[in-house]
Amino acid sequence: MAGKLSFTGFAWKNLWRRRLRTLLTLGGIAMAIGAFVALVGFSRAFEHEWLRMYQGTGTDIAVVEKSFLNTSLDESVGAKLRALPMVEQARPMIFNLMDLTPEINALVFGWQADSYELDSLTLTSGRRFRDGQPEILLGDILAENLKKRVGDTLEIQGTTFTVTGIDHGGSALEAGAVIMPLDQLQQVSSLQGKVTAFHVRLRPAPAGEAQDHYVKRADAQIEAALPGLHAVPAAERASNNQIVLLAHAAAWGTSAIALLIGILSIANTMAMSVFERTREIGILRALGWQRWRVMLLIQTEAAVLGLVGGLLGLGVGWGTLRLLSSLPQTASIVSASVSSLHLLEAFGIALLSGLAAGAIPAWRGAHLSPVEALRHD
Amino acid sequence: MINPQLEVRNLCKSYDEGRIEALRGVDLSIAQGEFLAISGASGSGKSTLLQLLGGLDTPTSGEVLFENRALDTAFNFDDYRAHRVGFIFQAFYLLPTLRAIENVQVPMLAVSQDAHNRAERAEALLCEMGLQHRLNQYANELSAGERQRVAIARALANHPSILLADEPTGNLDSVNSARIMEILTGIQKQRGMTLIVVTHENEIAHSAARQIRLRDGKIEA
Repeated sequence: MAGKLSFTGFAWKNLWRRRLRTLLTLGGIAMAIGAFVALVGFSRAFEHEWLRMYQGTGTDIAVVEKSFLNTSLDESVGAKLRALPMVEQARPMIFNLMDLTPEINALVFGWQADSYELDSLTLTSGRRFRDGQPEILLGDILAENLKKRVGDTLEIQGTTFTVTGIDHGGSALEAGAVIMPLDQLQQVSSLQGKVTAFHVRLRPAPAGEAQDHYVKRADAQIEAALPGLHAVPAAERASNNQIVLLAHAAAWGTSAIALLIGILSIANTMAMSVFERTREIGILRALGWQRWRVMLLIQTEAAVLGLVGGLLGLGVGWGTLRLLSSLPQTASIVSASVSSLHLLEAFGIALLSGLAAGAIPAWRGAHLSPVEALRHD
Repeated sequence: MINPQLEVRNLCKSYDEGRIEALRGVDLSIAQGEFLAISGASGSGKSTLLQLLGGLDTPTSGEVLFENRALDTAFNFDDYRAHRVGFIFQAFYLLPTLRAIENVQVPMLAVSQDAHNRAERAEALLCEMGLQHRLNQYANELSAGERQRVAIARALANHPSILLADEPTGNLDSVNSARIMEILTGIQKQRGMTLIVVTHENEIAHSAARQIRLRDGKIEA
């Protein structure tokens, strides 16, 4: 039988009567959810890549002075660290972000040529660099973006480096990074004798002691032996380093503003819709519609805006991440993968945004006097 | 009158903090199945009386009783409007985004009813109104007479026992007016429904079994 009217069908027809306004509102919420998916997804992927990098190299603890952004730790501290009984290896490293070309910037790591961290990399061509030589390894993604091969040269901060190898690391950060001898990075950065952190690999935990407990004990031992320094478990370092925290803060801050704009656009649409349909709401009330049912109708319309806008937003966000992960400027720090939990979270936020935005217009519509509503022009 | 279906006692309704008195002590009893016409000049209070009889508004003082039960704050007005009364308005008040058959289903959405049954009943009612060929037309694609017939079908959707019509022919030409009144009186007789029509047209008022005339918020003797 044709012409069946369902409650949700009725809600959709109400939205579709003002197609342009509905489409613009959907566009607004889609952009807001898209921003959330892209920005928060990016910052989480960034954090995840840090964790993968630590896990891949087998680093248990990072020892830093103040913040991850400072390269102010004295390299001589390494000897004291290595003397501690629980420490198997303590390797100095520098981390920096540098412009390689006017278009491409990349993470640059300074490691010692015999660092255990290099063992985690797979060389797809060439060989490792040597300490004291202007030689570099390029992550495979970065090499592709720079169109460099083994034997080519690359100028960094006025020094010409020879590409000795192309590596494939366990994380996108390494795949998009330059790795060079520690001493060379200290030289080009004018940071002789200074390092960003020591990456520590511990001896195996004694039988019967949990790894977490063992790492915490080692942290305490390091901090007691080296007052003023912080020993941070690698997993915590991945989520709490200043760069990741900044990325999270920027992502959430920008997303919150975008979501607020999205919520306001739905609220505006629903408020206008309720105003325009005042008489129709009076008709519904005259026909026996309960207040809660009128509220439910308006909230359903707002929720549909949130959900459909949210679905579009998931596509926008995912597409943005895909785009960013393919651009040379951002490929090294953006992963195209988005977790299903993140998508579900975005979808939930879209639904809640719709319901929050529709709440006041729905309440107002439901509490109109039927007689006054019917008189409304 | 023994056991009236609808009764109003000393009904008063004022607006604007008492400055405008629309109804001033109206007493009225209406029997089940009666056809009552309420007439009067503009502003006499006839539409206000109809709204109070239909539970659309509450009186300032006095009471409305449906089957000896007072329509007051304890009474579920929504339930009363959904199940007991059907409204027909001068301006039809069809929802513009819906087809005729969907408009008739709108009151049924307020009560629990299967979607298939809703559509089936809406189609049957529209066929009864002679609109079997206009089921899928939107309001703006229907003539004024057709719109009012859709509105009558909508008013009958939830099997009410009372039909309340506020100037049902006010926007119609004489041919359509006669057709609509024929339909309404036919429904009243065949279904034994109470029909209360507010009108300023003498011809319609005279066609009712009983006529009351309001003047300045009171029933004229």
